Amino acid sequence: MNTLTNRYLAATLRSVPAPRREEIASELRASIDDMIEGRTDGGQDATTAEREVLTELGNPDLLAAQYADRRLQLIGPTYYLVWLRLLKLLLSFIPALAGTVVAIVTAAEGKGFGAIGTGIVVALHVFVHICFWLTLVFALIERSQTPVDLPEWTVDQLPDTPVHRGIPLADTIASVVFLVATIGYLPLQHYRSWVRGTDGDNIPVLDPPLWSFWLPALIVVMLGTLVFEIVKYRIGRWNWALFGTKALLNLAFSVPLVWLALSDRLLNPDLGERLSWLADADNRNLIGVAIAVGTAAILVWDLIDTALKTRRQTA
Amino acid sequence: MVSEDVLRTHLQELRRGTVVVASLVALRRPDYGYALLQRLTDHGFPVDANTLYPLLRRLEDQGLLTSEWNTEESRPRKFYRTSDEGESMLSRLLDDLAAVQTSITGLIQGVDR
Repeated sequence: MNTLTNRYLAATLRSVPAPRREEIASELRASIDDMIEGRTDGGQDATTAEREVLTELGNPDLLAAQYADRRLQLIGPTYYLVWLRLLKLLLSFIPALAGTVVAIVTAAEGKGFGAIGTGIVVALHVFVHICFWLTLVFALIERSQTPVDLPEWTVDQLPDTPVHRGIPLADTIASVVFLVATIGYLPLQHYRSWVRGTDGDNIPVLDPPLWSFWLPALIVVMLGTLVFEIVKYRIGRWNWALFGTKALLNLAFSVPLVWLALSDRLLNPDLGERLSWLADADNRNLIGVAIAVGTAAILVWDLIDTALKTRRQTA
Repeated sequence: MVSEDVLRTHLQELRRGTVVVASLVALRRPDYGYALLQRLTDHGFPVDANTLYPLLRRLEDQGLLTSEWNTEESRPRKFYRTSDEGESMLSRLLDDLAAVQTSITGLIQGVDR
C-alpha cells in the first residue's frame, strides 16, 4: 500500500541500522496509528489526521538519526578547534610552497612567465586537497566514536599579551624594502644605468667621484636607518629617544643630498653627452634645486608626522 | 523585555533533562509510547513525539527501561516499564532535582550554604 504512513516508515527505516529495523518499524507504525486514532476520535477525518501526525513527527531522516543516535554534524565541538588550527597551519604555507616550487621548476624548463600561472594553479589544487582530506579525516574520527587523546589545555599555552602596537608591521616592511632597494640601486646605476654613451658604454647617473666618500657615507646612513627600523619595530611604540634618532638619521641623509644637489655635484656631467638638455648649466641647476626642495619637503613632512605620532603614543 | 526566542531557548534547556525523569517516574506503571505521551502532556510535561519515541529506545538500550510486546489488543504495542536499574538511577536524579530546588530557594532567600 502506498499510503503516506508507509512511505514515511520506509523513509525513516532506510537509514536505521538493519538489526533493529523490524522492531522499530512495528513500534513506530503502532505509535503513528495511535496518534491518528487519537485525532480521529476527536472528530477529524482520517486523511487530514494522517497528514498532521506525520508532519508533527517531522523529517524522517532526522527521526532516524535520533533512533540511531547518529551525529548530525560533520565535525563536532570536540574536534572543531583542533581541525581549524591544523587547517590554518597547513594552509598557511603548503600551497604557497608547492606553488613556488612548481613555478621555479617550470621556469627552469624555460616556460618564462607562463610558469607563474602554472604555480598558481598548483597552489589552488593543493589548497583544495588539504581542505578536503583534512576535513574527511576529522569527519571519520568524529564518527568512529573512538576517543582520541587530545592534549589537555594548560595555562602555559597562553600566548603573550599582545603589545599594543603603534608601529604596524606593514610600515616596517615597506621601509625596509625601500631602503634595501635604494642601497641596491646605487651600485646598480654605476654599472647598468639606462643611459648608454655614444660608444655603447654605460654612463652612471650619479657622478662617479662621489664613490670616494659621499655615496659610501649615504649607504652607511641607510644601513643605520635599516637597523633603526627593526629596533623600532621590536620596541613597538614611538618614544622621544626614537624620534631623536630618526631625526638625526634623516638629517644625516638629507643634508648631504641637498648640499650635493645644490652644488651640482650629484649628477654625472657625462650625462650631458647623451641628454643635451642636461648639458645646459641652468637646467642642471634647476634639477639640483628640484631635488633639494623635494628632499627638504619630505624631511620636514616626515619629522612633523613622526613628532605627532610620538606625542600621541607617549601621551 | 526579553525576546521570545531567548526565553524559549532557556526554557528548552531547563526542561531538557526533566523529560527523562518524568518518563522514568511515569513508567513505574507500564505503558506504550503514545499513551505515555498523553500522560506526560496531561501532567504538564509537553514533549514532542519525535523526541519521546527515540528517547524510550535509548533508555531501553541503556538498561533503564524494559519492554514487552502486548498483542492482546487491537494492534500490537510495545510496553515500557522502569527497570530496577532505572529505579536506582531515578532516585539519584530525583535527589539531584530536589538539591537544585533547595539551592535555588536558598539562593533566592540570600542564605549562604
